[in-house]
Amino acid sequence: MLKSPRTALLLALAAAAVGLALFFFLSDNRESIRKGGRGTEASVPENAEETDARPKRIVKLMFLNEDGEAFIPEEREITADETSPSVEAREIVAELIQGSKTGLLSAIPPETRLIQAYVTKDGTAYVDFSREFAEKHPSGTSAEMETIYAVVDSLAYNLTSVKKVCLLVDGEERETLAGHIAINRPIPPDFTLIARN
Amino acid sequence: MADSSVRPHIKSAAFIQAFLLVPVLAALLSVFSPLPASAAALRNIVIDPGHGGLYTGAKGKFGSLEKDITLSVSLKLRTLIERSMSYRVVMTREKDLDVSLENRAAVANNNDAQVFVSIHVNGSVRKKAHGAETFFMNVNASDEETRKLAYLENTSDQLDAKIADEDQDEVKMILWDMAQTAYVRQSSRLAEMIQQELNQALRLENRGIKQAGFKVLQGVACPAVLVEIAFISNPDEERRLSDEAFQNQVAEAIFRGLSQYLKLYPQK
Repeated sequence: MLKSPRTALLLALAAAAVGLALFFFLSDNRESIRKGGRGTEASVPENAEETDARPKRIVKLMFLNEDGEAFIPEEREITADETSPSVEAREIVAELIQGSKTGLLSAIPPETRLIQAYVTKDGTAYVDFSREFAEKHPSGTSAEMETIYAVVDSLAYNLTSVKKVCLLVDGEERETLAGHIAINRPIPPDFTLIARN
Repeated sequence: MADSSVRPHIKSAAFIQAFLLVPVLAALLSVFSPLPASAAALRNIVIDPGHGGLYTGAKGKFGSLEKDITLSVSLKLRTLIERSMSYRVVMTREKDLDVSLENRAAVANNNDAQVFVSIHVNGSVRKKAHGAETFFMNVNASDEETRKLAYLENTSDQLDAKIADEDQDEVKMILWDMAQTAYVRQSSRLAEMIQQELNQALRLENRGIKQAGFKVLQGVACPAVLVEIAFISNPDEERRLSDEAFQNQVAEAIFRGLSQYLKLYPQK
């Protein structure tokens, strides 16, 4: 009985902690995905462009809009590296994760980080994403296809050496991203998913 | 001398008699068993309510979960089939349980399913995405390649020399994993018939069937489809999805497509 005010306080604190945890848990992924890009490019120093003398090239990244199912390619400049498709693959995926700069929808959870990407001699690109790629995914057949083909088509469309793409999460092969489409084997691109013109 | 040669002979004769008796008895039992003869011949339809347990599937803005709607619609479909078709329904789950994607395919194969129907609720990054869609397995070129490769390796004389035991298992697993490749044509017919009924029942603009690389369909060794009944990511459709009348409408449409298909293709 003596300790009861303390116990009550502890209980109240515990309840508050659980409440907060629930709040964060419930308000997690779908919203953040819709927001698309996070504008992290702002942190790049302004004179970076001037001092970077490396050659550039334009690539097309796959995003979506509300009007149709097809991908809308968005142009982006990356540092070119003719000798290594792996270097360009890394740049393409990193830009894709950043989201659209023209207000299109991104199918990749914005919390996702690129761990590694490389292209083998037989034309398979391996892309290793952080666990948020799967954990923050909203699930659903269409959403999974949107995510998978945003990556696969963005790579294969811009890198002629890439014939198929193997998606890894936190260094490991997975059955599916969120319960629907198989990603345990390399996936060839499907360019019919890209809007024409 | 005579004795010793006769005795074993008698023993083996008794053995043979005993062995002959077993099938005869079994046959007699089956003839006089109280079950109607047709019950033994009843074939199975396997219904697969997507997700379950910890795996909720897609979530709606108002809190509905894919796993709950898939189970509810699947149970309605089961009732319709059992009421008016001479098929037995086997469910991959009847409760809110985790069932692995491989085990779902195994339920179909272990029950020698005539058809496999997986029920899902769709989700998209696009809030406006809407409508029911019927899918069948997408056999991509690299799968075809692997299958051919596995086949060639299996028929090679040097198979044993070339492939270690554990790798042979892997080759078999890959082939098993692609059982659905043999049924893609029938699966697309089944998908068409179900989609046609869904279009009519839900007054959808003329939607076609779709293909995708579903993990759950890969290993299923019979005609198999996956029905996405509506988009939970679309607020209007999320509301309809929890509506009993809408669920019944969907279950009835799937049921009509299924019975049409089974009338046309009674054999697997």
